[in-house]
Amino acid sequence: MGAPVTGATVPVRRRHRIRPARVVLGLVLMVVGVLMVAPLGWLIVQSLTAERAAFSLPPGWLPRPFTLDNFARIDGLVPFGRMALNSLQVSLIATVGSMLVSVLAGYAFSRLRFRGREAILLVMLSALMVPVQTTIIPVFVLMRNLGLVDHLAALWLPALINVFAIFFFRQYFNTIPRELDEAARIDGASHPWILFRIIVPLSGPALAAMTILAFEASWNNYFGPLIFLSSPQHMTLPIGLVTLQAGQGGSSVVVFAAITAVVVPVMVVFLAFQRSFAASIASAGIRG
Amino acid sequence: MTISLTRRRAVPRPPALQPSVTAGSRQWVGYAFLSPALLLFVLFVAGPFVAAIVLSLYRWDMLTPARFAGVGNFTAMFGDPLLYRSLANTFVFALASLVTHLVGGLLLALGVNRLKNRVLSYFVRTSLFFPFVISWAAVALLWKYVLDPSFGLVTYYLGKLGVDTPNWFNDPSWALPSIIGIDFWHTIGFTFVIMLAGLQTVPNTLLEAARLDGANAWQTLWHVTIPMMSPTIFFAAVITFIGAFQIFDPIQIITPQGGPDNSTMSVVMYLYQKGFQSFQVGYASAVSLLVFAVLMVVTLLQFWGSRRWVHQ
Repeated sequence: MGAPVTGATVPVRRRHRIRPARVVLGLVLMVVGVLMVAPLGWLIVQSLTAERAAFSLPPGWLPRPFTLDNFARIDGLVPFGRMALNSLQVSLIATVGSMLVSVLAGYAFSRLRFRGREAILLVMLSALMVPVQTTIIPVFVLMRNLGLVDHLAALWLPALINVFAIFFFRQYFNTIPRELDEAARIDGASHPWILFRIIVPLSGPALAAMTILAFEASWNNYFGPLIFLSSPQHMTLPIGLVTLQAGQGGSSVVVFAAITAVVVPVMVVFLAFQRSFAASIASAGIRG
Repeated sequence: MTISLTRRRAVPRPPALQPSVTAGSRQWVGYAFLSPALLLFVLFVAGPFVAAIVLSLYRWDMLTPARFAGVGNFTAMFGDPLLYRSLANTFVFALASLVTHLVGGLLLALGVNRLKNRVLSYFVRTSLFFPFVISWAAVALLWKYVLDPSFGLVTYYLGKLGVDTPNWFNDPSWALPSIIGIDFWHTIGFTFVIMLAGLQTVPNTLLEAARLDGANAWQTLWHVTIPMMSPTIFFAAVITFIGAFQIFDPIQIITPQGGPDNSTMSVVMYLYQKGFQSFQVGYASAVSLLVFAVLMVVTLLQFWGSRRWVHQ
């Protein structure tokens, strides 16, 4: 014990002391993980099971007899393909549009000088505390006057203003050295050129984080379509799922197939981008 | 700050450039870049917010002309038992959500941070975060089946353990706790990721120093890790409460009428019913301003309280 503490002795001693506790910890966390994914596993298995055998007790954990029939039946009950395209259309326009608007505004707040800059930023930031529900009724009235109720534009148009993304970009752009764009300006570069050739290419992680969050919010939006949409051919997936579930003739296996069809692509995308997804949310959390 | 200031003085600039940055003639560039955001902001945020205040002073059903009501909608709120009920439910939900998310998220982050097995660590992190990327519509429907009294997973396995399960969503004392549980399953991944990121900002040198000073795991956690993480915990607390107070989707999908005996009726659910089902637009606007006021007060309180305990 009297030996001087070196980098080698400390870790070894610690590892020996904690190992049994670590095994228990590993087991506990494994059980937690299994419990978290169990409902999803059950969902997918039931959606692949023939109707007469689905939802049996004890719960089946293998799709027997296996069938894809449940998926084929979805489109006869609700226009599933159409709703998927609607969801995709709204999410893509909302995401790309809001990123463009936010990048321009973030640049203005970070690099340009104009009267009232700080005041405008402050007003916008305080709007982060205004819940959607406070503005939804006037926005609904506005949409009705514009003739946009029951149009997909009613969903993506309000999503173009993303105050959190504007603020996030401003903060991020502030960390990019000003010497870079000031040098370009001396060489005669215009502001749009500086933004899109210097600032944006240097903002990959920030852009990725905000893009993912914006797309996810739009894709999963339930409140908006519930209020603005009414006809089936304009519906997006979240409402479509609930309609299918409440509708007549849609049996539970078909509902499960529809949920699976909505959930699995998201899960695949998430697995593919898991590292950047978690990291981006974490960075949004820490910086925000 | 000081570095960039001294640099600015030290590096001489072309005389033509310096005034052009600040002069009024170039101001339009800033407004040009800001104009799309500003226009959208006025149209969909600031304008509607002012309009909501105006609407709250009227009685309006969206069909017949609006009638001025003064503060009538606000005084009517005092005598509205269903509003009190929905407020109480929402506070219960938000507080339960706050406590379970902060404690659960922190414990899970501490646990996962200690895992040395990379495969297991990947599995746990992924499975915790999976539900968060799924839409509430899918989650709510799935859990309706998972908690089904006749063939649900939970019913079956708890029955095997000898636990008698209630009829979750139809039992007034279980409906809200059920939704609290489902919300935990859906959203804990978000808190967990934020906590994990915060945990990794705790300097290793401090943890080593505490250990060398003879602190045990509990003392290290309480006196080093948690104080160093307090900004993260504070951020998670604000975000969780604001999000939870606006709970709507699962309640509307699982209990479309607000649950047995209004036991799951939340404020937002209530304002949705008032505004879009019984078309009392003025009253719904007044309720929405109440939601705003509560969120603002709670957020300010949290910021004020944070000065006492957040490590700067």
